[in-house]
Amino acid sequence: MPVSSAPDAGLETLMSGYQQADDEAATALIEKVSPMLLRFFWLQAFSRRHADDLLQETWMRIHKARHTYRPGEPVLPWIFAIARYTGLDSYRKTRRIEFRETQVEVLPEIAAAPPVSQDVAEIDAMLGALPESQREVLVMLKVSGMTMEEVARATSSSIGSVKQKAHRAYRTLRSALMGGARAR
Amino acid sequence: MTPDEVDNVFGELTAGPLTPDASGAVRRARSAILNDLRPVRPLPSSWILTLLFAGTFAALAAGSGALLGPHGFYALNGLERAAIYPTLIALALVAAMACSRQMRPAGGARRGGVALLLVLACFPAVASALFRGYSTVDFVPGGIPCLRAGLLVALPTAILVTWILRRGFVLDWSAAGLAGGILSGLTGLGMLEVHCPNLEAIHILLWHLGVVAFSAALGCAVGWIVDIVGWRSRARTSRGAA
Repeated sequence: MPVSSAPDAGLETLMSGYQQADDEAATALIEKVSPMLLRFFWLQAFSRRHADDLLQETWMRIHKARHTYRPGEPVLPWIFAIARYTGLDSYRKTRRIEFRETQVEVLPEIAAAPPVSQDVAEIDAMLGALPESQREVLVMLKVSGMTMEEVARATSSSIGSVKQKAHRAYRTLRSALMGGARAR
Repeated sequence: MTPDEVDNVFGELTAGPLTPDASGAVRRARSAILNDLRPVRPLPSSWILTLLFAGTFAALAAGSGALLGPHGFYALNGLERAAIYPTLIALALVAAMACSRQMRPAGGARRGGVALLLVLACFPAVASALFRGYSTVDFVPGGIPCLRAGLLVALPTAILVTWILRRGFVLDWSAAGLAGGILSGLTGLGMLEVHCPNLEAIHILLWHLGVVAFSAALGCAVGWIVDIVGWRSRARTSRGAA
């Protein structure tokens, strides 16, 4: 078994293996990262409806771009930067279609929601109140477990800007939580 | 919900199985990837790419300036040369770094806007400190050939920069176009500082610096069009596949 495909290998090792055409490393990387990517798309309002398609499209782009990953560097910012632009492209495409076409049937809001508890649905409603950029930062930090620096790299912005967005998002969430507690 | 409960919910979101639809999408992606799995050579490091872009600037600016005749170089005195050329090289390095960052996803914070601001602030500051003369006599007839020559040098630079950019994986062509346009414009400006013997401040500030402004605007516009064409063709492809 190649070193890169050991079950406990890190994402960076798996990505390096994937670059060297190690199919076990590629499979392990896809298995490990796909749930994170799905949650990322699912928690963004503009990409929720097509989360499954976006997941597949993101992997196709990752495959095309795999030579641009630098071995040893954190892999999650690199993957999420691609995912972010895949989502944005989808948003533009949807807007264009909605602008040109008239919908005759009511489509379900969410094509395939991951199995979630009542609490998750509640959090999702709270996240819905956040602007997209703040929600994106919060999802990367809390759901994907990335550091501030990694989020800054994934969003091509500065750490200061990420900190500011995260701070504003926490403040909005905190006031929503306090409002909810008072209502009870 | 308390903040601790919120943290627990976020924890719950990080794990969990994929939906059947998502599993299908992953299966299709995995199959496509494994069928096309070949070893790839990673892109060189950012500083090598930066040097490559900066080298393109230096070679084309100095080469075309020397080819057209280095009259401007001889018209400048030692102090002016020591101020103008290092300023141009420093600005080109910033633009080259902005270009290299566009070549890979998560390559770092975008620096195209910063590069443009620096060019529009630093070069006029240096030029106005060194040169005098704000006469408008023969202003347009003397300026148009410089603008044209600068843009003619910027064009092959832009083609080369685009060729290098395409070795990577550009996510945002508008930003890449801006950075590439600035670097190409700086090449045109560099050529003019080697070739043009007109040391009137107003001529340099408008017609020479105008090459960078024009080239940056054009680069950004072309990048924006490439972005639109790109996502439209992807939309068509995915609709066709559906």
